[in-house]
Amino acid sequence: MHPDSPHYYPGTLGNKPVAVQFHAGSHYVALRLLSGYLPKEKLKLVHYGSPQFRFEALMNGEVAAAALMEPWITLAEKLGCRPVCEGHYLGAENASDNMDEETFAAINRAVAKAVDRINADKRRYLRYLIDEPRFAAVAAQHGGVTPEDFHLPRLRYSYNTPYTDEIVEDTYHWMVGWDLLDGAACSADLVDNRLAEPAAAAAD
Amino acid sequence: MKKVVSEISGVVFSLPWLVARDEGLFEAEGIDMEFVTAVSSGRVTPTESPEDVNPILGHVAFEDAQVAIYRA
Repeated sequence: MHPDSPHYYPGTLGNKPVAVQFHAGSHYVALRLLSGYLPKEKLKLVHYGSPQFRFEALMNGEVAAAALMEPWITLAEKLGCRPVCEGHYLGAENASDNMDEETFAAINRAVAKAVDRINADKRRYLRYLIDEPRFAAVAAQHGGVTPEDFHLPRLRYSYNTPYTDEIVEDTYHWMVGWDLLDGAACSADLVDNRLAEPAAAAAD
Repeated sequence: MKKVVSEISGVVFSLPWLVARDEGLFEAEGIDMEFVTAVSSGRVTPTESPEDVNPILGHVAFEDAQVAIYRA
């Protein structure tokens, strides 16, 4: 919410524009969060593309709210914006058909070690987020952010694990229910864990 | 060294990958990791219809088989 916004919780956002990126995490998490407060027909999500443009639409008053991710949340909060709801979602590694198990496992081992290092000292690695050129250019216009501005528990990094059949099924039915996926497709056709399962087993 | 090209999009998603590259963790596993930045959609015309937006978004390099892996 913009600092001057009259909204203090999601229930008043019916028919109000909320900036997201369609077909991405901000779209899906906004549906999941807002639908807990509002009927489907009152949700008014608007595609603004990447986080920079959602942030800018929020700040210039084009939208009532924006779905943001870090480090844009930290910048918005530093400017007095307030969150009305917050959600988390799983990321996914998507590998090509010709990725072999050995290579994928080696990548996973390296990434897992990086996850350990990040979790051991998150603040040490915030420079990666702060210095990303597109973010840094916008943040500089607003006085910038520092590592001390971040709420570290928001940043959650864990080892890669395969999506379970239950998660795939639940997500599939949720997407079909929101007309985001052709119901003729089969959930088993959409996720192939041939690489992730051996890699996860090797890491155990 | 096994050459792998990976797409990088939002830093918050790719942070472990960036750390793994910069701290030599890929190299230690015998992986020569190269990053390709996802295509930015730039400023878009706002729309309320998901059908107006290509779900591939910026993952063009993966769709074109120029990278072997990406995350979202």
